[in-house]
Amino acid sequence: MVLIAIVIGCVLGAIIGINLPIISYTYSTYLAIAIIAALDSVFGGITGVLKGEFDFKVFISGFFCNAILSILLTYLGTKLNVDIYLAAIVVFVGRMFINLTIIRKYYIDKWSKKIEEIKNKKKN
Amino acid sequence: MKKGKITITITIGLACFVLVLILFMQFKVVYQTDITSIDTMKEDELRTELANWKQKYNETEEKYKNTEDTLKKYKEESSSDKDTRKTLEKEIEDAKLVLGLTNVEGPGLIITYKNSDNIEQTINQEESTDKYIGATDLLRLVNHLKDAGAEAISINNQRIINKTDFAQINDTTYIKINSKRVSAPFEIKVIGDADYLKGALIGTGFVSDQKKYGQTIEFEEKKKLTINKYDGNMDLKYIEE
Repeated sequence: MVLIAIVIGCVLGAIIGINLPIISYTYSTYLAIAIIAALDSVFGGITGVLKGEFDFKVFISGFFCNAILSILLTYLGTKLNVDIYLAAIVVFVGRMFINLTIIRKYYIDKWSKKIEEIKNKKKN
Repeated sequence: MKKGKITITITIGLACFVLVLILFMQFKVVYQTDITSIDTMKEDELRTELANWKQKYNETEEKYKNTEDTLKKYKEESSSDKDTRKTLEKEIEDAKLVLGLTNVEGPGLIITYKNSDNIEQTINQEESTDKYIGATDLLRLVNHLKDAGAEAISINNQRIINKTDFAQINDTTYIKINSKRVSAPFEIKVIGDADYLKGALIGTGFVSDQKKYGQTIEFEEKKKLTINKYDGNMDLKYIEE
């Protein structure tokens, strides 16, 4: 069910995204940072679902707030002539790796349990 | 299906939608953007670029100015050099002309000055020197011509210049002009006003004086005659400036 939602969301997003007008290169940095933030939120959400801790409000607020906050920080960075977006990328990507690790571990556990079960069944 | 799960599904679907939407927008931007194109440059990039170009422009302009200045200098120098050379050449030409070191052309007279035809028979010893055309006769003739404004004179193609000498070698036949032997009949070429020249010779009595000795002087006016240059050497040994 969740997978179907993800696929539908991705396809719809792709179709609409391709047909939208091109935005100025000036703002592409902001867009990129928003993408990283959103990706981070999505992975966080998936991790939450897997752990059974998923909170709708936390996910949505995290998704949009992180994106907007990172954009604002990037903007501030350009005004201060400091590449703050680098910090945002480091944090988001770091968290993405942590979440990915959790997801990976979860599925590995799941599969190894299944394999053991099958083995036990065969033994029995 | 639980209500919670539907919410989760919709939320994640929505999040994916937004994510992929932005993702593809960004893809498109990155794919279609020519980084070197001015439209897509960031403002500060443009500013840097502008500053760079400005600097380059200034440098180039300075170089251009320098080069132009140098060029101007060279031009001035070369033109002044040329002018000086021209003036000098002109002066040399003039000096040569006056000195008689060039072939010259102009209107004037050809004077044919001969001894008496039957001089061999008529002379007796005493009179002989008078009846022959002597160096002094030629000197007088030249003096008269100069007096009448002759600008160039030659006698038997010996150009008369300031250094020219008239010397009688022996009493009769030979005369040295420019240290070269000449003898009668003499062909004297003169450039100047033909009437004045003629007048000077006739009016002063030179022609009639010489006729007394049977010598003949004939005049031939010429619109254009050529007088050769002095062909001796002009080396100076003693005088200095």
